[in-house]
Amino acid sequence: MNKVFKRIGLLLFISVVGIQFIPTTLNESDNVLSTDFIKTYSPPKNIKNLLINSCYDCHSNNTKYPWYNKIQPVSWFIESHIESAKTELNFSEFGNYSTRKKKSKLKSILSQIKNDKMPLPSYILMHKESIFSKSNKLDIEKWLTELEQSTISYE
Amino acid sequence: MKKIILSISIATMILSIACNQTRKNEKMKSTEASEDTHDHSEHDHNTTKTDDHIIEASTIKNPATSEIIDSYLQIKNALVTDNKDDAAKGATALLAAFSNFDMTQLTDSQHKEYMEILETAKEHAEHIIKSPIEHQREHFEALSIDINDLISLVGTDRTLYQDFCPMANGGKGAIWLSEIKDIENPFFGKKMLKCGNMQKQIN
Repeated sequence: MNKVFKRIGLLLFISVVGIQFIPTTLNESDNVLSTDFIKTYSPPKNIKNLLINSCYDCHSNNTKYPWYNKIQPVSWFIESHIESAKTELNFSEFGNYSTRKKKSKLKSILSQIKNDKMPLPSYILMHKESIFSKSNKLDIEKWLTELEQSTISYE
Repeated sequence: MKKIILSISIATMILSIACNQTRKNEKMKSTEASEDTHDHSEHDHNTTKTDDHIIEASTIKNPATSEIIDSYLQIKNALVTDNKDDAAKGATALLAAFSNFDMTQLTDSQHKEYMEILETAKEHAEHIIKSPIEHQREHFEALSIDINDLISLVGTDRTLYQDFCPMANGGKGAIWLSEIKDIENPFFGKKMLKCGNMQKQIN
């Protein structure tokens, strides 16, 4: 019995070590696109920092990776997570969205922040600095609401 | 040494399982969170009949949008009766209706706006398919604007009513389209079934 466990353990160990050598693609880019949200709307510094610290890791082309991204299968989990986050909303390409889509995204961003759906609990767990304080929330909601209203209407 | 190796590999396994688990939990949490009740009793909502000044808007009589409108109304009626599953079915039907839509009949100038409407409407439908009812309603608010714009762009042969609820969309107000003259509010369902007023009759 003991032997079986040891074998299973060894097998697991080998596979865990093995998958560490599989390369991963990093969500990093050197240049900030002209379509970038912050570049386009140049928010005040505090809003800019909130966006970068709480949103940009998953919703842009540039992730500030944590040390544990070096470990598999953690980095696979993070990679797939970022991929789906960017399909939903990519701040780096926000400028490419149609006015209709911009408005709809701004509406969603606002409601996600308001209802504490974003940043995700699992992200907050590892990124304490991403949590919005009450005043942070009010600031960013106010700024986003103004932006939403000033974005030209559909007609 | 072997024991250490064994425990490391087990720990890694647990970690990866735990990661998936957190994801599931999040989903469950968001379902719970979105079911919280809205108390709008203190709001003064406007149910005054505006029959005497209905704006009649006639559009191009175009049956091409009928399938899209039918599935939109299916979502609307499901939300009126607080039925999440039927709303999801309606959204699935809406996706099918959009892919059945014959784009060749569009003029070049219509085409660009149609594509933009299509892109966001599809996204809203996809979210309605997979979301709890409160989130379905948020996307339905935006979807209603898309469908309304589609009708002004391409036309319809249906008689529809554009209704407005001042309390939806976080108090900013939102429109929806209905096939009946009476107010049946899809944004709040039976909690505020009669909230809203008709703004416009189409056809």
